[in-house]
Amino acid sequence: MRLVLFTMTAALTAFTAMSGWSIGRAQPAPPTQTVDVLAERFTFTPSQIRTTAGTTLTIRLTSDDTSHGFRIVGSEVNVEIPKRSRGTTTVTFTPAKPGRYTFQCSRLCGAGHSFMRGEILVTDPVKAAR
Amino acid sequence: MDLHYTKTEDQDAQLDFHRFVLLVTHEFSPRLRFISEIELEHGFVEGLEEAGELELEQAYLDFLLSRRISFRAGMLLMPVGIINERHEPPMYYGVERPLTDTVLIPSTWFEVGAGVHGEVGNGWRYRAYLTSPLDASAFSADEGVREGRQKGNQTNIGSAAVTGRLEYVGVRGLTIGASGWTGRSGFQFRPRFDVPVRLVEGDVRYSRNRFEGRAQFAQVDIRGAADLNDAVARTTGISPNVARSLRGGYLEASYRVVSGARYGDVGTFVRYEHVDTQHRMPDGLTPLPEFDREQWVVGATYWPDPDIALKVDYVHARNQSGIVKAPHSFNVGLGWWF
Repeated sequence: MRLVLFTMTAALTAFTAMSGWSIGRAQPAPPTQTVDVLAERFTFTPSQIRTTAGTTLTIRLTSDDTSHGFRIVGSEVNVEIPKRSRGTTTVTFTPAKPGRYTFQCSRLCGAGHSFMRGEILVTDPVKAAR
Repeated sequence: MDLHYTKTEDQDAQLDFHRFVLLVTHEFSPRLRFISEIELEHGFVEGLEEAGELELEQAYLDFLLSRRISFRAGMLLMPVGIINERHEPPMYYGVERPLTDTVLIPSTWFEVGAGVHGEVGNGWRYRAYLTSPLDASAFSADEGVREGRQKGNQTNIGSAAVTGRLEYVGVRGLTIGASGWTGRSGFQFRPRFDVPVRLVEGDVRYSRNRFEGRAQFAQVDIRGAADLNDAVARTTGISPNVARSLRGGYLEASYRVVSGARYGDVGTFVRYEHVDTQHRMPDGLTPLPEFDREQWVVGATYWPDPDIALKVDYVHARNQSGIVKAPHSFNVGLGWWF
């Protein structure tokens, strides 16, 4: 009996060592990415953010003039960016699928308000790793 | 809102509620917007007198199809130069707009039309519109093409003008732009003849920390200027002495002396500008030297809030005339936006 138990334990140990799998080991944390975006009449800089699906994107938003809005079309993200020298707004967004996600100013900021647009370009992480 | 105090040399001081602007907008959806701007100039409007103006400066529908291409139609701001599309008072130094943005680029310049706009890559933007053209019968030696704006008032669209702008905004704090406008502006004359007008413009803005620099150059070419002057002279008895080429530009440097303080920001600036609305004349006409103008403008702006600007400046003006003097002026302005 002891021989059977010893053999099973040794086999399990060898298997886990070879496979790299262990009982109770934490799942790898999802990838994260932080981007600083400056809003000013009538641009976001950068206006194109590249990331991969599943990445938790942290966007820190600052204004160089008046208060602006930041909305990612088709998502729940819609925040106000405070006026110059009045702080930073931080939002997180985790795109589930590859694609183009449009963001735009959601607070009227002047004559060129509609020009304040950008995109989050999301690629497949597997394809991106190749 | 824009309130001005102006003391021009050898004249009494003047207080003018220059602009009162109302923005009315509606968002049908995140991709379908209506934006409008109604402006009352100089306090009130009185029929048949040159008292003030009530203008519909913008009223358009934006169909935001994608970042790369969107469609726009209605009363549009011409996408030319630094100021025309960014004319809120807290956004520029100086009580009055630069002369280049007044007589060469007649801001605020708006016309009825339609077109496309969008952005590709990281920061390459474009606008391209078809609009009603300028009216050459209102051009002048002093104010260049300024009075040629049709402003959407039963405009002649027999031959549409084409205008566009390409700009790069991909680097933080930097904007490099080039604009163009071309149209046939002789539609008022009988018998008909053609007055093709072309405007080219280039500009750069760069801001880093407390420093900001601006540069702009513009040139207007008017083919058929000789016929234009003859036709106006036959009607009014006076030749407007319109040039065949108008040219101007400016360099401006500014620095925020105080930034991020509890009581607001303070910035100072200096601007050198040269505008010649008689740069090249049609054969047989002599340029009027008083319209070859230079200005040094120095001043400061105090922003108690980023949307409120208290401005003060001094304009040292001169021209090439030995007879007509260019008056200096001291100006104070209060502008706000919300």
